[in-house]
Amino acid sequence: MSLPAANLLRSQVEARIPSAFATYRRPELKTILTGISPIDDLHGGVPIGALTEICGSNIASSGKTSLLVSLLANASQEHFCALVDASDAFDPAPADATGMNLSRLLWVRCGKNKSKLKPLEQAFKVADILLQSGGFGLIIVDLGSIAERLVRGIPLSSWFRFSRVVEKQSTALVFIEQQPHATSCAGLVFRMTTDAATFSGRVITKLNLEAEVVRAREKKPMQSARELFSLKTLWA
Amino acid sequence: MFACLVAPDFPVQATCRMEQENTRQTLKQSPIAILEGPANLSRVVATNGAARSAGIQIGMTKLQVEACGGVFLRKRSLANEETAQAALLDWGRFFSPCAESTCPGTVIIDLLGTEKLFGSPQNTADKIVMQGTKFGFALNVGVAANPDTAMYAARGYSGITIIPQGLEAKRLAPLSVSILPVSPEMLEILDSWGIHTLQSFAALPPIALTERIGQEGLQLQRLACGEIYRLLVPAELNGDLIESYEFEDPIETLESLTFILNRLIQQLCIRLVSQSLATNQLEISLGLEVRQLETGKISEPYTRAWKLPFPIQDGRVLFRLACLDLEKSAFSAPIKQIAVKVTPVKPRSVQHGLFAPISPETEQLEITLARIRGLVGSTDENGIACVGSPMVLDSHKPDSFAVLPFSSETKNRNSTQVPASVLALRIFRPALEAAVELTQERPHCLSIRHKRFHVLAASGPWRNSGHWWDVSAWSCDEWDIAVKTWEGIGYYRIYLDKIRRQWFVEGIFD
Repeated sequence: MSLPAANLLRSQVEARIPSAFATYRRPELKTILTGISPIDDLHGGVPIGALTEICGSNIASSGKTSLLVSLLANASQEHFCALVDASDAFDPAPADATGMNLSRLLWVRCGKNKSKLKPLEQAFKVADILLQSGGFGLIIVDLGSIAERLVRGIPLSSWFRFSRVVEKQSTALVFIEQQPHATSCAGLVFRMTTDAATFSGRVITKLNLEAEVVRAREKKPMQSARELFSLKTLWA
Repeated sequence: MFACLVAPDFPVQATCRMEQENTRQTLKQSPIAILEGPANLSRVVATNGAARSAGIQIGMTKLQVEACGGVFLRKRSLANEETAQAALLDWGRFFSPCAESTCPGTVIIDLLGTEKLFGSPQNTADKIVMQGTKFGFALNVGVAANPDTAMYAARGYSGITIIPQGLEAKRLAPLSVSILPVSPEMLEILDSWGIHTLQSFAALPPIALTERIGQEGLQLQRLACGEIYRLLVPAELNGDLIESYEFEDPIETLESLTFILNRLIQQLCIRLVSQSLATNQLEISLGLEVRQLETGKISEPYTRAWKLPFPIQDGRVLFRLACLDLEKSAFSAPIKQIAVKVTPVKPRSVQHGLFAPISPETEQLEITLARIRGLVGSTDENGIACVGSPMVLDSHKPDSFAVLPFSSETKNRNSTQVPASVLALRIFRPALEAAVELTQERPHCLSIRHKRFHVLAASGPWRNSGHWWDVSAWSCDEWDIAVKTWEGIGYYRIYLDKIRRQWFVEGIFD
């Protein structure tokens, strides 16, 4: 079919069905900066209205907790934040030292009572309640110290439900895990690894880290992007 | 002008007040008798109009009433009557700050100066009657130039009675002489004289009346003529508002309890709103029935209090908070009585800002936090809250923090410090027990949970101790170590607890 004929056909179809050839463009998501410039340069921060996974090893140092603290510190300047701590692993001291507005952080420490629910189930239920209540700009669910086999057992429908619920809210939902599990439900997946620590004399002063964007819904086609950076210790 | 609010058949109204509106309307048409006394000797102490029409009289025994058939029998509850009287007084205070709790079921208010707010006395009386149903009352209102005339008008006539100044004697004339505060002996004397109405009593010659029954008779005659002007004795404002309910039979199910609880909380909120107040403290007390093991003990108390971060007037929020807690509780015995207490405070006034961050809705937040507490618990084994905002304590003790109640009304951090990224420590709570092999007094091998790691580098020891003078003393040597794991290098913080003589892993630099 020649081009004029195709254009004529298109105009005739559009006259009857105006949106026949319209393409759905997903609105560009706003982001919350992580406060670590190399990571922000890599992707522009954590998307609001999407599910983000930050993964890293539990046995070896990976930098996922430092990223969590930095993200909370940055987000708490403008938003109310919630941290659902499945294994009660959050340390408020470095968070306070980084300048985090701790009064804007709701910290939920799971697994501290003799409940019938396991910490993982508690964390998911709490995240659900927080999403329903609304008003939080950032909700982080830390499953980093939960056994990998338990997190793997979470049905895909749960991840899907979270991604659909958060899609309609101005909330960034972040999961800290050892491995990514939300598959296509995640809008962004970071994998964190550590390189080596820098010692100044006998004191650790710096840890060299690597962040890799494994998956990003908004920037396709996404090739695996890596960035090296380092974080100083509190006393350095 | 004075207005008198009278709840006729007050014990009956106080008992039926907690019923739902439609149930109350049904009961209003049905004969009800209130019984008092031990179960086998209980007698009727109050009835409503339908019961009187059915021939039920004060003083009849329960058996006699049951013989009549179709009469609803209720036990008298002085606690219910007290709270009903308090509610009636609050309703009076809504119209005038000068309100007198004259006697059970009767409140007199001074209407002086209220015309600009509520209109004429007729309009005020209409509002009192119409909206009195919110408090669960069917009221008679009398308005007159003096308190006693207003009271007799409200007691003697149903609905609204307005007596203009100067016509007191004429309007009170048809009422029975028994409406006056006369003793039974004097009533007998008047009856023997053929005096049955206030008109005939007022017509007696005052000097002759004084000669026969003294000054008291003259005083009563002046009351009958509506000529006594006295000052009101305003009821003192009590600190807390209380609503209580005594169950006829102890209840065992939560559904029955929540139904009454909801009514009590709604009533309290109506009372708060009527006084333009709110509350930031709620307390629920349950009286539990005790099995007859210990004599002299009536019921076990159960008390639960909530301190809210801001004052609220919404009964639904208070009810939901209470329900979430009651659902978790297990009671050892059936519930006999419930009392709800709120502390009135001034309502919250908030200046909203266009540039303020989006925050959780304050009323909704309390329910959200209560639901989360229901899931994860309120406190941990050390008594630190499981839900709230963290706060770093001013201490050198490792991992010392507190958890404060979370509020959506927080201020910005004072410092203009830009958040800086630092290496964070992922804490193990409680710290993991470990075994450490030393070589030349430096860690060489680390064993955690039967897994052995070779130490690549170690930094330390960093000595830390404090509170040596009490039981919370600590003393430890901290080491930052790098160990080789199958997933890479792990940087851990370990310490030797010198008091317990045990190595622990505090956390991992992550």
